[in-house]
Amino acid sequence: MRFEQVWFRYARRAGWTLREVTATVEQGATIVVLGRNGAGKSTLLQLAAGVLRPGRGAVRDRPAVVGWVPERFPADQPFTAADYLHRMASVRGAAPGAVDRWVERLLLTEHTGTRLADLSKGTAQKVGLAQALLVPPGLLVLDEPWEGLDSVARTLIPDIVAEVTSAGGSVLVSDHRGEITALPGAIHWSIAEGTLHTSAPPPSAAATPVEEEDEVVVEVAVRRSEADRAVVALRAAGHRVLGVRE
Amino acid sequence: MSALVRMRIAGFVRGGRALPPLIAVLVELGILYGGGASPAAVAYGYSAAALFPVLAWLTKLLLDTEPDVQRRLARLSVGPAREATAGVLAALVLSLLVCVAAMAAPWLFHGIDTRTALGSGIALGVLAHLLAVPPAIALGALASRAVTRSVRLGVTVLVVAAVLVVVLGLTGSFAPWLVPPVMATARALNDPAAPPAATLALLVFWAAAWCTVAFAGYGWLRRARS
Repeated sequence: MRFEQVWFRYARRAGWTLREVTATVEQGATIVVLGRNGAGKSTLLQLAAGVLRPGRGAVRDRPAVVGWVPERFPADQPFTAADYLHRMASVRGAAPGAVDRWVERLLLTEHTGTRLADLSKGTAQKVGLAQALLVPPGLLVLDEPWEGLDSVARTLIPDIVAEVTSAGGSVLVSDHRGEITALPGAIHWSIAEGTLHTSAPPPSAAATPVEEEDEVVVEVAVRRSEADRAVVALRAAGHRVLGVRE
Repeated sequence: MSALVRMRIAGFVRGGRALPPLIAVLVELGILYGGGASPAAVAYGYSAAALFPVLAWLTKLLLDTEPDVQRRLARLSVGPAREATAGVLAALVLSLLVCVAAMAAPWLFHGIDTRTALGSGIALGVLAHLLAVPPAIALGALASRAVTRSVRLGVTVLVVAAVLVVVLGLTGSFAPWLVPPVMATARALNDPAAPPAATLALLVFWAAAWCTVAFAGYGWLRRARS
């Protein structure tokens, strides 16, 4: 996907939010967009997703399936989390079972019957994430995905990003808090004063991945109250947590 | 696309935003049929004209129910053209339901004079409602937040256009073709003699031409307004 001389402003008389952005997003790349509050990260991401149209220039060769996780999930809708996801699954033409898979994966099971407006910020963010992943995306756009997420969910994001990129999809992430360390090998773009600066990934992060060893699955039961901590501890110890169930 | 149509109708009905236009429809029907019986064509002609602004308002409310970000998510999911069409179809489904209810209501209050030509009167009534619904939806869509972006401009577009439909629709208007033939249809049906086929053909053509322009305008405006 390519940004070709993209200029963008929100209104005809407003100043340009982004000027002359030219950049390429390779297949399978992870790109972290950095910048101050209001620098235009969200604008760039929305241009990438196709939510906003460039004032001048064009975004070309955008993948057919785009998953967009907006900065704030639109919770003002009279649906429960499960109802919303099932409706979005049929709107998006997702495969059967996609909702259940992501509900389980994102630890949303106990919130399925909760109305969207009553969800906590982090849980609503997870519904936004699930919605974007119902159909495997060719481009995944994550606008501040770590905002409001608990420690367990935070560790999920790098896994999800890795899955999308290994399937040939590209990922664009915006971040203003330095969580990028969680995404090794990511390319960094930074926005300042309406201009985009691109740079290659740092050499240390681009190092070859550790040789994969043979794995076995160990099923573990933990007390409900300690589930969060156990998942974090297992991940910290370098194990892959495949799922949590009742 | 039908999933998106269902999702929008469900969001509109469950959220309670459908209630004010529903009450408006009930009040209108009470006023129209509270005062005794009249021939079917006359009653239905007025009913269609009275419903026009309510259906436009209902369309605006329906399209404005969904948060902007959710509308953009839908647009990414199904594409700009289908997203816009799904909103119009959702409004069409609800508007047709309102019309069916409005045409059934006078039978409960004995509001239709059954001694006059009933069959042709009902047929003309159906036509009058079908001529009012698409322009009402087009107006509501043009007044929706996705197009106007501000609440004040949206309400202004809706109210000014609804008033112009009446004012420019009066006999002797200097520019009747600027507005859809809502008043002209009511007048044609008010005649004791059934209107000639040529008049009906003109009304249908007029409504179709107006809607073509209005929906094309909506589609053009929505290209850049997600």
